[in-house]
Amino acid sequence: MKQQLLSIAGVRDAVLQLPDDALTPMREAALAHLDEHGLPTVRNEDWKYTDLGPAIDISNRWLAAGARLDVGGDMDAAIAAITATIDANWLVIANGRIDDSRTTSINGLEFSRFSERPTPFDMNRPLANLNAALLRDGLRIQLSAATEKPLGLLIIDSADEEDGVSQASIEIDVAPGCDAEIIEYQASVGDGNHYANSIVTLHIGRSASTNYVRIQKRARSHVQTGRISATLDADSKLRMASYDMGGGLIRNDVDIDMSEPGADVIFSGLYIAGDGQHIDNHTKVDHRVGPTTSSQEYRGILNGNCRCVWNGKAIVHKGANGTDASQANHNLLLSDKAEIDTKPELEIYADDVKCSHGTTVGQLDAAALFYLRTRGLDKRRATEILTHAFAVDIVDRAPVAAARDAIATMVESRLADLVQDVAL
Amino acid sequence: MASENMESLVNRRYEHGFVTDIETETFPPGLDEGVVRAISARKNEPKFMLEWRLQAYRQWLEMREPTWAHVHYPQIKFNEISYFAAPKSDDDRPKSLDEVDPKLLETYEKLGIPLHERARLAGVAVDAVFDSVSVATTFKEKLYEAGVIFCPFSEAVREHPELIKKYLGSVVPRRDNFYAALNSAVFSDGSFVYIPKGVRCPMELSTYFRINAANTGQFERTLIIADEGSHVSYLEGCTAPMRDENQLHAAVVELVALEDAEIKYSTVQNWYPGDENGVGGIYNFVTKRGDCRGANSKISWTQVETGSAITWKYPSCILRGANSVGEFYSVAVVNNMQQADTGTKMIHIGPNTRSTIVSKGISAGKAQNVYRGLVRIMPQAHGARNHTQCDSLLIGSECGAHTFPYMEIKNPSAKVEHEATTSKISADQLFYCRQRGLSEEDAVNMIVNGFCKEVFKELPMEFAVEAQALLNVSLEGAVG
Repeated sequence: MKQQLLSIAGVRDAVLQLPDDALTPMREAALAHLDEHGLPTVRNEDWKYTDLGPAIDISNRWLAAGARLDVGGDMDAAIAAITATIDANWLVIANGRIDDSRTTSINGLEFSRFSERPTPFDMNRPLANLNAALLRDGLRIQLSAATEKPLGLLIIDSADEEDGVSQASIEIDVAPGCDAEIIEYQASVGDGNHYANSIVTLHIGRSASTNYVRIQKRARSHVQTGRISATLDADSKLRMASYDMGGGLIRNDVDIDMSEPGADVIFSGLYIAGDGQHIDNHTKVDHRVGPTTSSQEYRGILNGNCRCVWNGKAIVHKGANGTDASQANHNLLLSDKAEIDTKPELEIYADDVKCSHGTTVGQLDAAALFYLRTRGLDKRRATEILTHAFAVDIVDRAPVAAARDAIATMVESRLADLVQDVAL
Repeated sequence: MASENMESLVNRRYEHGFVTDIETETFPPGLDEGVVRAISARKNEPKFMLEWRLQAYRQWLEMREPTWAHVHYPQIKFNEISYFAAPKSDDDRPKSLDEVDPKLLETYEKLGIPLHERARLAGVAVDAVFDSVSVATTFKEKLYEAGVIFCPFSEAVREHPELIKKYLGSVVPRRDNFYAALNSAVFSDGSFVYIPKGVRCPMELSTYFRINAANTGQFERTLIIADEGSHVSYLEGCTAPMRDENQLHAAVVELVALEDAEIKYSTVQNWYPGDENGVGGIYNFVTKRGDCRGANSKISWTQVETGSAITWKYPSCILRGANSVGEFYSVAVVNNMQQADTGTKMIHIGPNTRSTIVSKGISAGKAQNVYRGLVRIMPQAHGARNHTQCDSLLIGSECGAHTFPYMEIKNPSAKVEHEATTSKISADQLFYCRQRGLSEEDAVNMIVNGFCKEVFKELPMEFAVEAQALLNVSLEGAVG
């Protein structure tokens, strides 16, 4: 099956529709890059298990229909509901448009636009070319002091009868010594087809620490490709957790680059997939110097006809002695139509290192299930309890306290929904 | 820390690097249909075999060289390789061991192969492949009594065409990959084994491969069929002389285990690895695959890989029969500029199939060692189990150890576990051994042997001893 190609002519027309501003050179460079390199295909090792076909189909239809940003209905109610659930300084990017009313700088939190001061954009990251070509504007955030509430980034898109495509690009700079808390929330409104492509670039200064939570709760008709590229300076810390609960086709990339000693990363993820979902998590950690440490654990619960992918890569570069890297991925398969493709990779070019990875794939323990049933629980409820027990470790690790309750509630209701088709 | 003793060991050369000066008939370099036809004609092959080769050649022309492996080497010029080299002309092929060129026997003597009298003592039947041609098969009669067929591949093509037709290419199809296609077109010999129903092969079977002539590639083909309820243990060893240029070795090994049959395939690979600057050495691009076709069958791969400039091989098991078992035990040692990209594939198709993977990688010098493995559980493989363990040991700060395990699980009742660790020989471990009176090299050898023990215990006795000795030689000079 040949993959559908993105219409470059369509993208070119869409670029011309965007305002002629300081970002125009970047968009044109990105368009040229896109024309030359295209989008990743399953022939590419990193995209072996994830076919971007649906994203390309949506994009081509959207481009053919005039590439309008304001497709879909009203999002105000949805935005109000989400921002009320978690107490944070919320910024909103709706259908690729930054909500100006929310970007007023406060003490320790400053905002600016890419268009005010364009900086070079790393096109070599997959899908960065598409992002840059169609980007309306990007948001730059400077965190220089701890704020009372965490910073919330809501990326929300809507599509109804017409297909939609949106790009979001955010650069966050955490000043040296600063403690930052960030919540990224990706959500959908309406049940039309939408493709959202986002890039978050995070720079953590010397001795700074960042706690980052990603929540993905998109509609089944939505495709999302989201990338976080984090660079850590000396003695800085990153604590991150991501929660994938919705979406049709989801691809998350986490790239962590540690080029100064003392950097330390702990991150985890939970993906819950049901019928028709495809959730792919790719992580890459570059230990360029030692001592640096990274530890990651992802867990997945799969039911119905779905497919999940986890690919963790740790690269210990030459001379990065004193590196400590660990990877873990555990999966529960509840249905015979679910598929998990997992690949923990280690590339090690230094000898004084401690690296390990562990992966498991299995089902619920029959004895535990039986025990709960002898206590009078039906199979569905017993399954729900056991899957919840499996998930709760990752929920508890949410590094932003303000978001933890909301995440716990979301996970609980998602799991209750997921086990609906378990035969009693 | 390097003692004088260590230094002398560092400088020790590849032991099997001698060239035997005997008459060989070598085709001029280059590959076209004519060469394929000539090889087939030289072997007096039946027509079906020639057709098979030609189809493989045509398919090969359409294929591209794979580049995904984590190895780097200058492009191979397939037209500068000679695709056939035979130690003697076919007309005066040896009828028995006594007629074998004494120089050839001397070669094997140097290699320590129990070909002649020693074979009888060791009780090992040997098929020795020199360059591309099988030179002698010992113990043929004794095996014949048991009903076991163990002969050079070319002989099997002539004498057992029905078995060849039925099984050749049934595990590794001609167009499976670039090198398998090349091999299918130009393979010149190899070993053929057939174990009849219910027979337990009375002795261990063994093949020794040696590349002697310059500018030749070795393309041998091994086919082992274990009929219902049979059992066979097969050993394979490899050496090559030292040469400045790289030589290509692209073999194909196919194993078929029918119901209740068991095949144990052990390899000690010690091709010339090139010198410390990475000049010369063998490119070892091999396709090995076993098919557990029948219920309750078992295929076990054990490999000790110490040689070759570049190793690129993934002995695999297709677990088709219910309750079939696949095993892979591997020690891969790389030193100096060697590169190894090796591992296995376990494809679980039948219910209750089980597989075990134990891989130990040791990197020293500037070498790169990769474990690449695939565990795939198909939707119908209910109750499948896999356990994978891959450990890496790093000796020196300039080497690399990499792990790329793929797990594709499509059945919820499967249990798949993977664990891997990477570490170096710690100063504490060394110090402890040293204070017990062990020299530094003995201490390293002991630690490394301990690291590899799980794999060595799977090897037949004679091979285990050889493997340990090889390992010690390979790592000499790595610590200091």
